[in-house]
Amino acid sequence: MDFLEIVINILSSGLPCCLLALGIFLTYRLLDFADLTAEGSFLLGAATSGVMIYNGVNPFIATFTSIIVGALCGVLTGVLNRYLKIPKLLSGIITLTASASIALIIMGTAKGNTESIFKSQISFGNEVFKGSPIQTIYSLFTPYSYNADYGIWQVVAPWGELIKLLIMFIVVAIAMVLIYFFFGTEYGMAIRATGMSEKMARAQGINTDVATIVCVAISNAVIALAGSLYVQEAKSVSTITASGYLVIGLASILVGEAIFGKRTFKNWLISVALGSIVYFVIVTIAVRLGLPTELKSLLYAILITIALCIPLMKMGFKKLFKKNKNNKEVSKC
Amino acid sequence: MLELRNVTKRFNLTGSVEDERIALDNVSLAIKPGEFVTIIGGNGSGKSTTLNIVSGVLTPDEGKVLLNEYDITKLQEYRRAAYFGRVFQDPMVGTASDMSVLENLEIAYQRGRIHSPFVWGFKKADKEYFIEELKRFDLGLENRLGQKVGVMSGGQRQALTLLMATIRRRPTIRMMRRDYIKFAGLDSLVARKEFDEEFTRCQIIKDEKIAKAKTSNLSKKEIKIIVKEAKFEFEQAMLAKFDLTKQILLLDEHTAALDPKTAKKVLELTNKIVRENNMTTLMVTHNMKDALTYGDRLIMFHSGHIILDVSGKEKAKLKVDDLLKMFEEADEKLING
Repeated sequence: MDFLEIVINILSSGLPCCLLALGIFLTYRLLDFADLTAEGSFLLGAATSGVMIYNGVNPFIATFTSIIVGALCGVLTGVLNRYLKIPKLLSGIITLTASASIALIIMGTAKGNTESIFKSQISFGNEVFKGSPIQTIYSLFTPYSYNADYGIWQVVAPWGELIKLLIMFIVVAIAMVLIYFFFGTEYGMAIRATGMSEKMARAQGINTDVATIVCVAISNAVIALAGSLYVQEAKSVSTITASGYLVIGLASILVGEAIFGKRTFKNWLISVALGSIVYFVIVTIAVRLGLPTELKSLLYAILITIALCIPLMKMGFKKLFKKNKNNKEVSKC
Repeated sequence: MLELRNVTKRFNLTGSVEDERIALDNVSLAIKPGEFVTIIGGNGSGKSTTLNIVSGVLTPDEGKVLLNEYDITKLQEYRRAAYFGRVFQDPMVGTASDMSVLENLEIAYQRGRIHSPFVWGFKKADKEYFIEELKRFDLGLENRLGQKVGVMSGGQRQALTLLMATIRRRPTIRMMRRDYIKFAGLDSLVARKEFDEEFTRCQIIKDEKIAKAKTSNLSKKEIKIIVKEAKFEFEQAMLAKFDLTKQILLLDEHTAALDPKTAKKVLELTNKIVRENNMTTLMVTHNMKDALTYGDRLIMFHSGHIILDVSGKEKAKLKVDDLLKMFEEADEKLING
């Protein structure tokens, strides 16, 4: 059972990060736009969903609102970059900086928060059960049974976690299919062309400003959805725990590409999604082997470096191999 | 007809008046439909600036750009794309390297139309058309539609860009009408009336043909073929009269980054395409020999002025030495005057 527990742990933190990685992939790889907004839209997505669920709103409406908030973040970054001519990195940083304060304000609208308009942490861990007004998209589908001895509702043993994973998987799959089909349409192809050669895109009659803004908006909407899934899984959100995810997403992309390749667009998408799972497998193994959690950040940094070097190493191996081959031929002569 | 009227463009490098450089000084130029113009000139003489002003990358400080008498000076670059096909100097710029040949062609084929987010980008009929077009190029690209453009050589990429600049999906009747009213150089009411009259006339011919086929005792299959033919003829007649797009090809030193052998091949391909489709073409080049060999009009720029404009027999008589002499004379004039 210990093994199963580990698998569930990996998947329940890995699947939301699949979406995160996909979102970052859309800007970082397709648009060649190093978008730091990701960090901010993840936090805002988590905060929005968290506060709405805490206030007893339907979790589907909460999730949907998160997506909209993420898209708005993206539009803001895109407009800053495209129409105000602020460099890409800086416009991301501006949105990111603003989102930290906005997240505090959003969380400040939580029920019962009368002291100030800000709040830095929301937790609804023990209040999610059958019959309570607080529901997440997972608990809506989880079977509960009434325990008469303690007078409380309990999750029916193996189902809670499995249904959670299933719902996560379905959401990730739907998002992936939608992304795949969108980027195969005429406009999706136009967006990809914009990322590769803006001059060419404009010469082919594509409004590159709008294309960029649309792509950044979609990317951040997906990232906010990841934040929403994350907060409903963790059942709590604070400005501290929901930060640092940009690095994780980036690392997932690099690991996925290095291991599974990027031959076609479909292959590339699946690689990125699987990358985040692999990433969490590596981190979990390291922690299980006794790595102190204080050293986690160092591990992240080393992982990213290795992943970035894999293509170079692959080339090096190929060269070595070719040299050997040539030598053999020479020796044969 | 494409026309530059008294165009002036200044580049202000550092912001002070002293550093101002005039790239184009009151240049006027008119290019007839179907004309193949080669443009030569030294570095900074204004030849590339001219092309950039025509394609909308730069806006002139003074003067106008006219397309069929219609002022397009303020039309944005991407909106002009329907009327201009462009090939750049850098082979990496003209195509999207991480996308396949097919994807690149599909994007280019949709030029001047809305790239819809609800329509799947790949169409079976298009693919057949692309294969046919690529076969004419004779580069072996027709078997490599799925390949990423990034792995292809500079010459192949440039040839692909050339094809991308010349293909374009047939405009719909509505688009043709809109363009004709806007760009025909006529009063909008006159243009509208003319278009509508011709449209009704063509439609009557089409309807008559179909009605005739239906009343005769032909089999259903034959009637279908006749109906299809009539529709095709109708479309062709309209296109021949009112299609104002796909006329102008802008080539910005498109062989400069290629080796001599490939450059020659690409140039010959260019010439073939231009002549077959009877396209209006502006070709900027550094190579005087190419400028003399190809095209039917030659324009030489020097420090923002047109110093030579010859066409036809006069151009045929010119030799590289004459051009060099003219360059030197112009330089001397600049220094002395």
